[in-house]
Amino acid sequence: MAVAEPIRLEAVRPRFRKPKLLSRQLSRKLNIAAASLFVIMTLIALLVPVISPHDPLTLIGAPLLAPGKGGFLLGSDSIGRDVLSRVLYGARASWFAALAVVAIGVIVGGVVGLIAGATGGWVDNVLMRITDGFLALPAPVLAIAVVAALGPGFMHTLIAVSIVWWPFYARIVRGEIRNLAARPHVEAAKLARNGRFRIAFRHLLPGAIPATLVTASLDIGNLVLTLAGLSFLGLGQSAPAPELGADAARNLTFLLQEWWVPVIPGIAVMVLALIGNIAGDGVRNLMEPE
Amino acid sequence: MIALLGKRLAAAIVIVFVLALVVFYLQHISPLDPVHAMLGANASASAIAQQKHALGLDRPIVSQFFHYIGGLLHGDLGTSYRTRRAVSTDLGKFVPATAELALTGLVIAVALGAIFAFATTLRWRGSGIFRFILLVGSSTPAFLLGILGILLFYRNLNWLPATGRTSIDNAPSGPTGLLMLDGLLHARPNVTWDAFQHLLLPATAIALGPAVAIGRVLRSSLVTDQRSDYARTARAKGLGELRILWKHVLRNGIGAALSMTGLQVGLMFAGVLVIEQVFSWPGIGQYVAQSIPVADFPAIAGVTLLLGVTYVVINTVVDLLQAWADPRIKL
Repeated sequence: MAVAEPIRLEAVRPRFRKPKLLSRQLSRKLNIAAASLFVIMTLIALLVPVISPHDPLTLIGAPLLAPGKGGFLLGSDSIGRDVLSRVLYGARASWFAALAVVAIGVIVGGVVGLIAGATGGWVDNVLMRITDGFLALPAPVLAIAVVAALGPGFMHTLIAVSIVWWPFYARIVRGEIRNLAARPHVEAAKLARNGRFRIAFRHLLPGAIPATLVTASLDIGNLVLTLAGLSFLGLGQSAPAPELGADAARNLTFLLQEWWVPVIPGIAVMVLALIGNIAGDGVRNLMEPE
Repeated sequence: MIALLGKRLAAAIVIVFVLALVVFYLQHISPLDPVHAMLGANASASAIAQQKHALGLDRPIVSQFFHYIGGLLHGDLGTSYRTRRAVSTDLGKFVPATAELALTGLVIAVALGAIFAFATTLRWRGSGIFRFILLVGSSTPAFLLGILGILLFYRNLNWLPATGRTSIDNAPSGPTGLLMLDGLLHARPNVTWDAFQHLLLPATAIALGPAVAIGRVLRSSLVTDQRSDYARTARAKGLGELRILWKHVLRNGIGAALSMTGLQVGLMFAGVLVIEQVFSWPGIGQYVAQSIPVADFPAIAGVTLLLGVTYVVINTVVDLLQAWADPRIKL
């Protein structure tokens, strides 16, 4: 709230305790550490083929071993594959998929939002009506229909989720651009007889980057969860491929005895989304200090 | 208010029309040939041509589209390749179970969200735990919550059932299809209680994620308005903090939380489809899960249309509720 505070009366203020637990410098360091989880996680995902103890597809031991038994840190699944290796490969696929969808969303939504915001008029109207139409429909349900039409498969899932994901970014970029377009520096650029493209790319686009980046980083956790849900429903990679959602779904029959077989992939999804959310919060705190 | 109503209804109709267009287009680009799916691979050329004509697939695409829309307006969602029955008939069987689950989930989500928001705004003792729940809750997939719930409350404690809607054999099947309500209508409280026990785990599993989102939004508007001048006036005349929130701040702050609730319904639908697999819940999710492996597109299109229309209707109602809560909203 940018409204000037009237006279402060201690007696009538709410009882807020404002805990100053962390010094500003320490909290900045923590935020940087959190944000760098994006990089760390991506490196881990890249290195999975090196650090994974076994091949995720080969049968290498007795089936349904408990975690720690027979040299398998997280046990073995119903046909004797190493659960840890499957989870690592599954997490790698989830992480890259989430990054890919966010990247496509940012690029496509960014272009649409930039065109709409920088052009204005009927172009803006038409593009934003289309965007609103998408946003008025439940994205995950629409994604299911798109995958079903294209046929199941990893690429098709990525395409489907990207199709329903970009409008969100178009809205954000367009909003930022419209705000910037009213600023004096843009007016000055116009008076200096800069071309439309130059204004869009040099004077408008850079201003929209921080908000978009924050939104995108907070979105990774969401996407990990959405993609895991689709995979759970059978809309991901086909059978032998290691995938967290599908591995949990296929092993539900073992829930009451060998519970770790379906639970571990689920926990992996949670950890991945948690990493995404913590890192996203870090990025937001760094870029939008209160 | 009338103008707003008209505007919102018009927008909703346009969006539903667009949804129908999208689904029709998906059907059109789908590599699956409906005629082959119906007649099998060995059908003769003449049988295929005949069936194509019967389905109207030999007509121009625009004409096909209007034929499709006409069908939708009469409640015709096409025929399932798998069950060979009308999709609308199939859906009719599965909808009540899903509706009961989703409604219960929504009630739990709103209640939990409100508790999160009030506890953290008023800084109740122990409300610090909610910060933890908020972080973990927004990162946990619904299916994991369901699985862990089954392990804890069924396998270890044996407090709650793990599968299905009811364990009573001759449970009433009408008139609403919602077992909790039907139990009451037939004066059989044991049916209602049993249905409630079956609902508790799956409904909570789908509710936690939306509850976190609703709670966050509600909290931030409560905190903002708690510092406003009118809250200060209420405090100055001696009202307690809870009473200020409940009687004065809530109505001002509820708009954002309401629209977040509307948006979260979309997420909840996806959660319902997934969680029905975990709990063998006899609803739309089972129908979708059985349709996906055999590429039964009409069935999935029917579910998409049904859930999409429900979502649009709910969000239209939410918009109107917002205008009712805050008459300054005119748009």
